[in-house]
Amino acid sequence: MAVASVPPVEVSDVRTCFGRSCIHEGLSLSVRAGEILALVGASGSGKSVLLREMILLHRPTAGRVRVFGEEVDDLDGAQANRLRRRIGIMFQQGALFSSLTVAENVAVPLREQTDLPKGLIREIAGLKVALAGLPPDAANKYAKELSGGMLKRAAIARALAMDPDLLVLDEPSSGLDPVSANALDELIRQLHQSLGLTVLMATHDLDTLWQVAQRVAFLGERRVLATGTMAELSANEHPVIMEYFQGPRGRAAGRGAWSRG
Amino acid sequence: MSTSREPPAIEWIPERAALRLTGAWLTPNLARVERELVAFAPAVPQVRLEADALTALDTAGAMLLQRLRSRLERQGKGVELVGLAPHQWALLDLIAARLAAGEPVAPLPAPPALEQIGRAAAAAAREGLAMMSFLGVSALALLGALRRPARLRGRAILAVLQNDGVRAMPVLGMLSFLLGVVIAYQAGIQLRLYGGNLYVVDLVSLTVLRELGPLMTAIVVAGRSGSAYTAQIGTMQVTEEIDALRSIGVSPMELLVLPKVIGLVIALPLLTVFADVVAVFGGMVMAEAMLDVRFDTFLARIPEAVYPSSFFTGVGKAPVFAAVIATVGCYQGFQVRGGADSVGRHTTTSVVQAIVLVIVADAAFSVVFSWLGI
Repeated sequence: MAVASVPPVEVSDVRTCFGRSCIHEGLSLSVRAGEILALVGASGSGKSVLLREMILLHRPTAGRVRVFGEEVDDLDGAQANRLRRRIGIMFQQGALFSSLTVAENVAVPLREQTDLPKGLIREIAGLKVALAGLPPDAANKYAKELSGGMLKRAAIARALAMDPDLLVLDEPSSGLDPVSANALDELIRQLHQSLGLTVLMATHDLDTLWQVAQRVAFLGERRVLATGTMAELSANEHPVIMEYFQGPRGRAAGRGAWSRG
Repeated sequence: MSTSREPPAIEWIPERAALRLTGAWLTPNLARVERELVAFAPAVPQVRLEADALTALDTAGAMLLQRLRSRLERQGKGVELVGLAPHQWALLDLIAARLAAGEPVAPLPAPPALEQIGRAAAAAAREGLAMMSFLGVSALALLGALRRPARLRGRAILAVLQNDGVRAMPVLGMLSFLLGVVIAYQAGIQLRLYGGNLYVVDLVSLTVLRELGPLMTAIVVAGRSGSAYTAQIGTMQVTEEIDALRSIGVSPMELLVLPKVIGLVIALPLLTVFADVVAVFGGMVMAEAMLDVRFDTFLARIPEAVYPSSFFTGVGKAPVFAAVIATVGCYQGFQVRGGADSVGRHTTTSVVQAIVLVIVADAAFSVVFSWLGI
């Protein structure tokens, strides 16, 4: 797929306040086309809010957000919807519609956004379910019948329904056992490679950071403290970043990455 | 993807036995080309697919292309695909591998009508039994709580009195007032014909105190509070809060159900008295305006028209209605399984069941009272 040179998401000088407390102040970050960018930071550092601002679900108090080169503030509803179609989102808890099967969940965006015939939509949905690495019989199950790992895959299948250019993942490996988490990491890497996706994710999982992320942006003190590869960040001298990566968990994940790679 | 977005198209070139694929093969605009591809059936043994003019290809586009390839091959034709860019080849190979991995399983067909009827009947019977058993469990919990009143959650009961009693007064008052007005108006039209204006007092106070006051109150409360109980307990069930309570050793019956039942059993008779008073006042206003029955005449007539027993039979029904509403609401809440969808369904069922059972109970009371001659 041709990779455009426009950054899929660019936020500059963003300020976000809830009442009197501000969680972002002069925050700038740009997602490069075709990369896997991870947002990290302590709980409460505003990762999820920043993610929501980038995918047009939340409006920052001040500052500019550009999605695929278009200023979000200037858009009317229809234009915003056109942009949203190019973004696939996997929410933290999956957010699958509980009254629909997995295949029907994947078909929702196709049904709403295109005029494709029903049979073709069913086929595309089946393909997306397979692309997300789910067995064919999972397509007819409901969200409550799926295990945690399968739920995340089903959510990814729905996120891929419209062949987005940007895939956004909110805590992809949260709540998963190590085996499922590793398999999910592998899936993300595979989809990134074969579909030419730009991937943006918020995560706490140090293994995911080492294994999947090509670039990491560290959120702290209401802004982006540093960006770089994991190797660069883990050598960063900033006290907040050091505390995050130099704890026992951070060191173990780092060692694992070196021995494997 | 800044490439051109002209719609995808196919063009058959008989001289070369070639199918030219052009345009952007992207999900939103595949509808037309899909129809054309299905109709495409060349009468040649060897087909050449030329993709060099393809400006874009996504997974759904690749799926159509792969579907065409395998269909032609199944028909015994030779297929040669040329002109794809390397990354498009990679995508097509991925799709081909995934498609070959397994056809999606078709959803199960609906069971035959007889089986559906049987299942529905069995489900209704189970529901009835489950409700009886819930009633039994609540009664046991109530007995246990009465033996040790210290364990009753006074604060929770007060919250129920506040939320489901006091806060229901504005809407209930308005509805009752209008009810009184309507009864007096309808009665007034008839009574005026016979000059029996004063009997409007008998009609309004009897119907309101005996029947409509308690019934109206129960229906308003079923819609207002019964639904809220179901939604609250149902959501707690979905978020595993009920399980958390059990694991801490707190009985959900004691914490969630008993305060609601006890609170509503206290609140509903009080609300009924309030509704009675406001509805009779509504009747008074209408009688004054339409039939020239003055307020003091109306009030003086009430003791002659109504025995205290009429008032007490009306208010006496209220605790039973309250128990029905609270029990049904809580029971339906505990029946929730799964997600948001189930909460909605059970909330509806809760209100419908509560209103039906209240009216059935009211009918039963009428029969019993007529036996007893009250």
